[in-house]
Amino acid sequence: MVTKTEETQLNQLEIQVDNGGGGAWEYLSLVRKLKVRRSEMVLKHGSSILSDPGKRSALGPDVWTLHEQVAIAAMDCQCFDVAQNCIKALQKKFPESKRVGRLEALLLEAKGLWGEAEEAYSSLLEDNPLDQAIHKRRVAISKALGKPSLAIELLNKYLELFMADHDAWRELAEIYLSLQMYKQAAFCYEELILSHPTVPLYHLAYADVLYTIGGLENLISARKYYAATIDLTGGKNTRALCGICLCASAIAQLSKGRNKEDADSTTAPELPSLAAAALEKEYKQKAPDKLQLISSALRSLKL
Amino acid sequence: MGMGSNGELKYEISQDAYIKLVLHSLRHKTAAVNGVLIGRVSPKDEGIVEISDSVPLFHSNLALLPPLEISLLMIEEHYVAQGLSIVGYFHANERFDDVELCGVAKNIADHISRYFPQAPILLLNNKKLEALSKGKDRSPVMQLCVKDASRNWRVVGADGGSKLLLKEPSANVVLSDYISSEKWKDVTDVDDHLDDVTKDWVNPGLFN
Repeated sequence: MVTKTEETQLNQLEIQVDNGGGGAWEYLSLVRKLKVRRSEMVLKHGSSILSDPGKRSALGPDVWTLHEQVAIAAMDCQCFDVAQNCIKALQKKFPESKRVGRLEALLLEAKGLWGEAEEAYSSLLEDNPLDQAIHKRRVAISKALGKPSLAIELLNKYLELFMADHDAWRELAEIYLSLQMYKQAAFCYEELILSHPTVPLYHLAYADVLYTIGGLENLISARKYYAATIDLTGGKNTRALCGICLCASAIAQLSKGRNKEDADSTTAPELPSLAAAALEKEYKQKAPDKLQLISSALRSLKL
Repeated sequence: MGMGSNGELKYEISQDAYIKLVLHSLRHKTAAVNGVLIGRVSPKDEGIVEISDSVPLFHSNLALLPPLEISLLMIEEHYVAQGLSIVGYFHANERFDDVELCGVAKNIADHISRYFPQAPILLLNNKKLEALSKGKDRSPVMQLCVKDASRNWRVVGADGGSKLLLKEPSANVVLSDYISSEKWKDVTDVDDHLDDVTKDWVNPGLFN
């Protein structure tokens, strides 16, 4: 996950590099650090460093990291020759390396040679049963083959061993969501909130899932987690503000005819109108042409 | 609406609506994306649904209700002033050769069809999209899916037959040009908007 500041910084650097303003290595390092997927850019600018002997030697031992990064980007862009060349150079420098072995298997994956890739990973796993990256590649293969149930099974097994891997929990949640297995997705977000209680995105995702499952209890819960998101983001999260308003409307609908206090005793009644006001203020300031749309949406939610 | 079976209906999609959706899916190549179709029943012919615009919706977590609900409210409000409404749904699967309609697509389309019974699903056909640069195919790179009498969604014809039409015959040529110039980088969706309200899902000026 990347913050807005990090993304802005990355985009600025990308524009600078792409327009000949230099800073390619800085850009490539930031891409590695943030673990974002900008394969076309990485391929273009990484390759240009690698094809220049002066720039290559200026990197020192980092040049091998660059080889790996460019290899992966090349695979993502279906440029198998470039990938193969990088891997060859790495094989020469690091014979018998497991890390290079992983790259070879990855290339098989990129070419769609699933059976051979799976074999390569299995044999690498024999010597390294706790290699997290290889376990995850097997999940990726099952996703690519359109076998989400297998992906889920593998990912669950993985998480039994590596339960602190929050990216894996997120991935599992997203696979569950794509299959509309909302309760299972909720469980994943619960794990994430337990281990990372100050990350607002997990509270937000959990709230969204609870709202989607529906039912009065879940809506009341969702509202709590939207409120937590607003708290953790200093009131700046548009999605959470919308969530509060949607919850208020849905809760009101479901509470019709029930004793109001029984149904919903945990609320701060001014919360939805505060959220609505905050939304309108944000739109007025930043997207005035859309103000009427959000106001009308809020009105139809009876706020 | 008394239209007989949906198979008699034709759907005519404008170049702008068509290209916007394809570009959106190209911007997020590694994800499933979706969008809504905007238009109306043709005032000249009740058997034709005119799709004059489209709004790209999401490129992550398509199965969540809250972002969907808020966006449908805003989109309807925006287009009602032009006498248009949401008339259908677009979906592009995550994987290249996946031509199945997933539960999410059907659920969202079911919801839309409660308000516009003739609403179709347009599903991106990646093989046709890939073949665009090599051939002169003028048919849309999308599969048309409609609800049959038993309320199930089914694909219409091998390539939509003649039920899904491009309003402008040269739409694929224009699309190919935009792909070459990487125009997809300029497409904004509702996901982007919810992260930053200054980003406009109407995409004004996209095709200027």
